[in-house]
Amino acid sequence: MSVATFLTRTKGNKDTAETFSIQDFLAYAYLLVGVLVILVPVLWTFFSSIKSDTAVESFDTRLAPMSQISQEITGVGPKDIWVYTAEDGSTQLVYKAGPTRKLTDVALVDQPDEVFKVPRKSLSPHEEMRVATENYLDPILKRNGQDNFQFFTYLYNSVFVTVVATLITLLINAMAAFALSKYRFKGRLTFTILIVATLLIPSSIILVSLFFVVWSFGIFGSLWGVIIPAAATPTGVFLLRQYMLTIPDELLEAARMDAASEWRIFWRIIIPLSLPALSVLAILSVIWRWNDFLWPLIVLISDPATHTLQLGLTQFAGEFDTNFHYILAMTVVTLIPITLVFVWLQRFITTGIATTGLK
Amino acid sequence: MTPAGFVVAFAALFWGLGGAIWLLKRRSYTLRQVPQFFMDLLGFPVELAQSVWGRGGVPYALLLPNMLIFGFFTFLPVILNFYVSFTGGASISLFDRPWVGWEKYGEIFNCESIFTPKTCTNPGYNFWTGMFNTLWFAAIQVPILCVVALITALVVNQNIKGRGFWRAMFFYPVMLSPVVIANIWNWVLHRKGALNASIGEAREAMTGLAGLSGFDMVATVLFAVILLIVSERTLRGNDGPSASWAGVFGALLALLVYWAQPLSLIGMGGFGWLGLALGAGLYWVVSSGQSAARLVVIGAGILCVALLLAIQFDSVFSFGRYRPINWLVTPNTGWPFFWLVFVFCWSHMGFYMLILLAGLQAIPRDLYEAAKMDATKPFRAFYRITLPLVMPTLTVVLVLSLIRSFQIFDEVYLLTGGGPGRETFMVVQNIYEVAFSNDHPDYGQAAAGSILMAVVIAVFTFFQLWITRRQSDL
Repeated sequence: MSVATFLTRTKGNKDTAETFSIQDFLAYAYLLVGVLVILVPVLWTFFSSIKSDTAVESFDTRLAPMSQISQEITGVGPKDIWVYTAEDGSTQLVYKAGPTRKLTDVALVDQPDEVFKVPRKSLSPHEEMRVATENYLDPILKRNGQDNFQFFTYLYNSVFVTVVATLITLLINAMAAFALSKYRFKGRLTFTILIVATLLIPSSIILVSLFFVVWSFGIFGSLWGVIIPAAATPTGVFLLRQYMLTIPDELLEAARMDAASEWRIFWRIIIPLSLPALSVLAILSVIWRWNDFLWPLIVLISDPATHTLQLGLTQFAGEFDTNFHYILAMTVVTLIPITLVFVWLQRFITTGIATTGLK
Repeated sequence: MTPAGFVVAFAALFWGLGGAIWLLKRRSYTLRQVPQFFMDLLGFPVELAQSVWGRGGVPYALLLPNMLIFGFFTFLPVILNFYVSFTGGASISLFDRPWVGWEKYGEIFNCESIFTPKTCTNPGYNFWTGMFNTLWFAAIQVPILCVVALITALVVNQNIKGRGFWRAMFFYPVMLSPVVIANIWNWVLHRKGALNASIGEAREAMTGLAGLSGFDMVATVLFAVILLIVSERTLRGNDGPSASWAGVFGALLALLVYWAQPLSLIGMGGFGWLGLALGAGLYWVVSSGQSAARLVVIGAGILCVALLLAIQFDSVFSFGRYRPINWLVTPNTGWPFFWLVFVFCWSHMGFYMLILLAGLQAIPRDLYEAAKMDATKPFRAFYRITLPLVMPTLTVVLVLSLIRSFQIFDEVYLLTGGGPGRETFMVVQNIYEVAFSNDHPDYGQAAAGSILMAVVIAVFTFFQLWITRRQSDL
């Protein structure tokens, strides 16, 4: 019996004993590599975003957020502190009193007046571990001249678009699904085919003329221009319709006996009973709206007050090619809500998409 | 007043005021029923339709909002696209646009040959460059995406621990927005980013190792021992060699061939694919249960010994100094394109994996049990049971990912902006730039481009559906 079999065997005779075979090993190795490829860039971005700006600028590849200590030197002002390692191995805290050369002028922190020369290579930064919260707080609170990133405006716009669009989508898709699943009427097939047809029309080939339509409705440049055009989704209609078909007609008949109007049947019976499907559609809609990029880029780009978080982030990243620490921090801020949604609801999301098979 | 403002004002008046009066006249509400009242008010048009036309009118009223939006924002633009493509000028008002006929299409097709976009006029050059880049992108990316998604779905579908966790992890990038994805990968692929840093460190470590005296010897012996164990495992089974071990053996063989570069002896260097082909061939021979499998494995083992003897480890480990490049900007290397394919697969694979997983889970278990009774090899079971039964789902995935990758815009626009030069310039970006990010927007040109693109997408979809139909007939 090999070691692996011995360690991983379970109770039972030899035939039914679970052995850790090469298949399992390959499977786990594949999964592990895959998860690393997925998680490492995200985590690396997160760890970089809590580093100080000098560490980010110098592309410090250490994981911990180390940053050089800066200290007020009496009579000189704030200076970065360096550790000077003398030839005998003793160390002293110094600051640079002149430009960095092969032999650099430095002075002890305690005795700022006595300047002496040391080789550049014997200096190393005096560091401490510090979470650079300013990367997050500066753009959000508009400190240190960072007033380009209107975080709360963008957040408000994003939340507004996401919430309103999701509510509208849920309501009108549920209405259409109710009509298609619970009524027999002339033209039902036609309507169904029309809705299927919209599935086959990719959004990017109607960009130009959709722009004309939205312009003539007068909602171009406003958030409604983003919300309305994609409010009716064929995916949502079909997802809800499939679910509503499973609701027994007897319930509806009973309600009609009690003289409930059709709208009340919809509202009081159909909606509560199809909550599982509605929640799946709600999650999908939130993801679509929160991550939407191309159409908001066309409709909202001219007015910064209407930018969503995604647009604001793009503009922000475009303005500074150098201020990586702010860009990374704001990327993490944009990433966090959707990550939290995912962590809480991943079971719903994964099963929901697997059942609809569409995105 | 804009049309939208007018519509909104009218609707508010009719709906809010008229609806309230109408409802209050018919029904009485107590104070506790205020929410009920507002709910009824929301559905006032439906209620009105029911009282005017009876129950038969209700479905139409229910469908109305959805159909209005589909009509105005999906079907109308499709028709309008044709009209816009026949008009010129930069006017946004549809009626001010002069009719130019086929001129916009003519500009796109004004080439000596559309297969060499350089011979075209400017609009044609941009369009056809974008089109061929996109076709190339789809041709490379779709098969990779489908294969990786299928493998991942197969692995996750196995009886492994923490299935939900793995599934969720692979799905996580689908949730991220393109902007976030672009920023993350921009940060990783930067010239001084994490990727370059880790490659540089790995190279330094390897060079350091190679410099140790006796390392060549140890490495060769170690590799030989690993090969010995793996080949013994492969050949061990009573009923033919084991497929999984053969896979490991194939991977080692590929690595060895890559190191030894046997083709460089006859002056053909740089053939990294030879090892992959040999390894894959070995795996195929064993897993499909060919009768000569055992002989092939033994032959591969002899080949490995020869290669190991042939390897000059000194030359193998002489890594030069690593020069970091900016992966997304360096022209004429193909790297920007590679990373686009990679990032696109990275961010979308989880979604297609889920669909395939649903397809895999729909396959009845007893089929596999029956196959096990008949002592069918796993590979044969995969080829004869899994693949045919998952084929419909795989086709859906193929069509979806093809249409999806044909419309790629966000990731490219944010990561490379179409550059370097026009290497990653895609057709949707062409449409976007012609119509929206241009000082002289040419909507007609963009509309003509989108119609040509729609034609290509339609051809692809129908071709694929036709192939599937043929397959299911067989």
